[in-house]
Amino acid sequence: MSGLVGKGVARVDGRAKVTGAARYAADQEVPGVLHGALVMSTIARGEVLEIDRRAALAHPGVVAVYTHADLRRLNVPNFPFNRRFIPMQETRVHQQGQPVAYVVAETLEQAQEGAALVKVRYRVEEPVVRMADVLGEAFLPERFRDRPNEISRGAAAAAFEQAAVRVDRTYSSPMQHHNPIEPHTTTAVWENGTLTLYESTQGVVFARDAVATAFGFDQPAEKVRVVSPYLGGGFGAKGPTYPHTLLTAAVAELCGRPVRLVLSRAQMYTSNGHRAEHRHHLRLGADRQGRLTAIESTSTAQVTRVDEAIYNGSESAVRLYACPNVHVRQLGVRLDLPTSSYMRSPETTAHFGLETAMDELSYELGIDPVELRVRNHTDVDQQADPPAPYPGKRLLECYRVAAEAFGWSRRRPKPGTTRDGDEYVGWGMATETHTHAAIPSQVRLTVGTDGRATLRTATQEIGTGTYTVLTQIAAEGLGLPLGHVTTLLGDTAYPAASLSAGSATMPSVAGPAAEAAAQARQAVIALAVADPRSPLHGVPAGEVVAGDGRLSARGRTDTYRDVMRRHGRPVEATGSRRNTGGHAFGAVFLEVRIHPRLGRLRVSRVVAAYDLGRVLNRRTARGQVIGGVTWGLGFALMEHTMVDPNTARVVNPNLSTYLVPVCADVPSVEALFVDPEEPDAELNGIRGFGETPGTGVPAAIGNAIYHAIGRRLRDVPFSQDKLL
Amino acid sequence: MRAFGYTVARDPAGAVRTATNTPNATYVAGGTDLLNLMRDGAEAHDHLIDVNRLNLASITACSGTLRIGAAARMRQVAEHAGVREEFPVLSEALLASASPQVRNMASIGGNLLQRTRCGYFRDAGSACNKRVPGSGCPAITGQNRSHAVLGGSDHCIATHPSDLAVALTALEATVHLLGPGGERAVPIADFYLLPGSTPDQETAMRPGELITRVDVPRTDLAGRSRYLKLRDRATFEFAVVSVAAALRTRGGVVRDVRLAFGGVGTRPWRDTRAEAALRGRPLTPQAIQEAGRLLVADAKPYEGNAFKVELVQRALVSILGELGGLR
Repeated sequence: MSGLVGKGVARVDGRAKVTGAARYAADQEVPGVLHGALVMSTIARGEVLEIDRRAALAHPGVVAVYTHADLRRLNVPNFPFNRRFIPMQETRVHQQGQPVAYVVAETLEQAQEGAALVKVRYRVEEPVVRMADVLGEAFLPERFRDRPNEISRGAAAAAFEQAAVRVDRTYSSPMQHHNPIEPHTTTAVWENGTLTLYESTQGVVFARDAVATAFGFDQPAEKVRVVSPYLGGGFGAKGPTYPHTLLTAAVAELCGRPVRLVLSRAQMYTSNGHRAEHRHHLRLGADRQGRLTAIESTSTAQVTRVDEAIYNGSESAVRLYACPNVHVRQLGVRLDLPTSSYMRSPETTAHFGLETAMDELSYELGIDPVELRVRNHTDVDQQADPPAPYPGKRLLECYRVAAEAFGWSRRRPKPGTTRDGDEYVGWGMATETHTHAAIPSQVRLTVGTDGRATLRTATQEIGTGTYTVLTQIAAEGLGLPLGHVTTLLGDTAYPAASLSAGSATMPSVAGPAAEAAAQARQAVIALAVADPRSPLHGVPAGEVVAGDGRLSARGRTDTYRDVMRRHGRPVEATGSRRNTGGHAFGAVFLEVRIHPRLGRLRVSRVVAAYDLGRVLNRRTARGQVIGGVTWGLGFALMEHTMVDPNTARVVNPNLSTYLVPVCADVPSVEALFVDPEEPDAELNGIRGFGETPGTGVPAAIGNAIYHAIGRRLRDVPFSQDKLL
Repeated sequence: MRAFGYTVARDPAGAVRTATNTPNATYVAGGTDLLNLMRDGAEAHDHLIDVNRLNLASITACSGTLRIGAAARMRQVAEHAGVREEFPVLSEALLASASPQVRNMASIGGNLLQRTRCGYFRDAGSACNKRVPGSGCPAITGQNRSHAVLGGSDHCIATHPSDLAVALTALEATVHLLGPGGERAVPIADFYLLPGSTPDQETAMRPGELITRVDVPRTDLAGRSRYLKLRDRATFEFAVVSVAAALRTRGGVVRDVRLAFGGVGTRPWRDTRAEAALRGRPLTPQAIQEAGRLLVADAKPYEGNAFKVELVQRALVSILGELGGLR
């Protein structure tokens, strides 16, 4: 064993990315490609009456302008399309920024100007835009992907009424958008009835299947290929497959030439989902010792007139703390807005309420917030029947390690009592947790006649380090130097594998990669010991140790290179071992400083500890923590999609007015990992981690604000005006 | 964005000639705002005249006046030793603007002419009286957190986004223009117009005119100046509220004071009544608060921006307290 797994190995694709050698979806060279531009609806609700395309068609370079009247009928795919209608199939308008016409031209600029010249006349109906206006119409939506929107155990309402100590509050967060820096893009190329899509997607296999369904192909793998070698950020925005992909494929088929579409930044505010506006009514009941006796959680999220999926799960209310009486309901209200979607750490939305309420409860009880969480710790999944232990859960250690590194014991509990010059200083903490999925995946390893290996799997690199970690696993499992393994991802020509969403990538592909590597290593060793020309000839295979490209036993050595050269044919192995979903945990502690007169706030220090099972790469794991904490900071302090209350248009659809944190907003983040001393060499039960860091940060910031100035904020973003 | 023509001007007079003789032409310097406006469909021009090679980028200290060439870059002015020494408010306002990359590109003239960040103005799919006169102002009943509480009309409540313009307003700068009719100078107080019923008319500039330089009077007062900018993130963001202040006291009594405000007005906002209320009086928190109350006496808050009325007064207390040594 080379001990590569777990090390902070630098990204194997880092050089390609920083030099521009890495080719993203829209960088793929496609001869004869036309450029597409969407004409988007400028009403939220109504009908297209007339589309005048004359001016657009007269514009130089414009090849065609398509409307609903021209497009073929498409089938509405199921997951991961996640919506019940495809635009440009009929005249109905369900939202602002819905495609109503599709312009193709020889250049991007010509297509965009062509799109601007298309005149659309509508019959307008008045939209319902503000959640606050229709809260009374909240309803319990249908199950989404078999997940119920109502979960209960025990008798929560009665237990709350009888509780010695109660917290009964409402928390809220606005619409937010993912804003990956790479815009959504798709390039559709038809050849002899088969379709190749160069797509910015977090799931090439799922995108392929969705597109195949839309076009009525029974054999997706034979008819559609999806290629996505690199992704410039997804954050859930590129998990589902969206209408623009289907429309581009349909338009390319119509015009008989490849078509490339790159959404504009503004179009990304209506085309690829968002975190839905969310109101969360929470009731916590506890006994005097702080043990939870009741959790009643009723959340209300924006849905639409056509879709009602709820993406912001309430997992932590159901499972995080020991509590016999729980009642969770996830309601929806229908507004004339785009369909929402998964957005990085979907569970953050509801977890913000829970972790704020826990802090409020700690003050009600006079118990330290960490101690309160320790008293309510559980090592079993209480919702499982019978309750099932979490394997290797180390959350208690996270509290201890992070609190110590932060210096929590020096905290003066009373709010508003810690000052430094002009500023009030507040310390806050929260538990971090998120669910991860595991999706059946296959990984194929080929050891070539040069003794070097190539790993192929149709998962993808979404910026998190998948190329690197899979290379580490394969190199360690084979006993090859890192540089002798090449990992190929993001192409449905490779064995089917996981969506890179729901923190599922590593739990899904790490085991199969280790399995394939072990098989390939054994196969190469078997070749060596059976070959009279090998120094290892006749040695029992079980004695042979592989490392750094060498195979050794009894003081004799052969090499991968020599074994494979003599063999003259590649060796191939496929791993497909399955994993199960689960949870990762952590604790975040942070410090805020507030200038009381001006309401100016900054987060000055963050320490967090995580239990994610085995760490596969310390450097990329730390990267996830920094990214997650930064997301949490944006959620807490600034992110906010503003929608005009009369027209339902997004008013800030750009990175100039939709604020995300800049470097100056983010303090140094100390990331600690409490991974086990003796790791599992077979990489069984690897847990997903991507979405856990940051889930507790919004609440921790709010809790720190309360500690600093004694004001409890329950509505994010915590902007300056709320701190005056 | 539609195709446009492009000319590199070799001398100011030639630039003005081209602008005057070419339909729907405009000048471009750093292009940091103009190109975004054109991409977003908020502005459309058939011809751009590049004014980067006009030799208008120098910063010269003359007796009594600092002359800043219109093509000087934001960074160049912010880092200029004389500016930092004699006009700290100017340097601070520039350094509080945009990002280092933008400051390397963006010119002083272009900075003064940047357009509002109002989301309705920048969205070609929305109504906006400033972009399409007569189409309406959705901000008044819509999203107006970033909008003005002072100087608005029923037609427009957009703020002017320039920090530099706020500092220059406090410093009583003069904008020098070259047009088809020759040269003229406009005091900055007259340069920006209130929206009234013509919010599309933002400045006193006439067709074809080019900003050639900005003159800033060299005074003792200017040396005692600061810029306070409050915003929704640490950097690379426009002001929610900003204050440019210059203060001279003797024995705790205000000898002279100049105040200008950003983020609260439809143009860089100066209110001489607030200054007069302080001049000749001991600098006390009470005196500053009174001046603040005068400043916001005519404020018209909306749903999203009402907090600015309070915040701007607190910002005034903060910056004058600092300049005057109050704690």
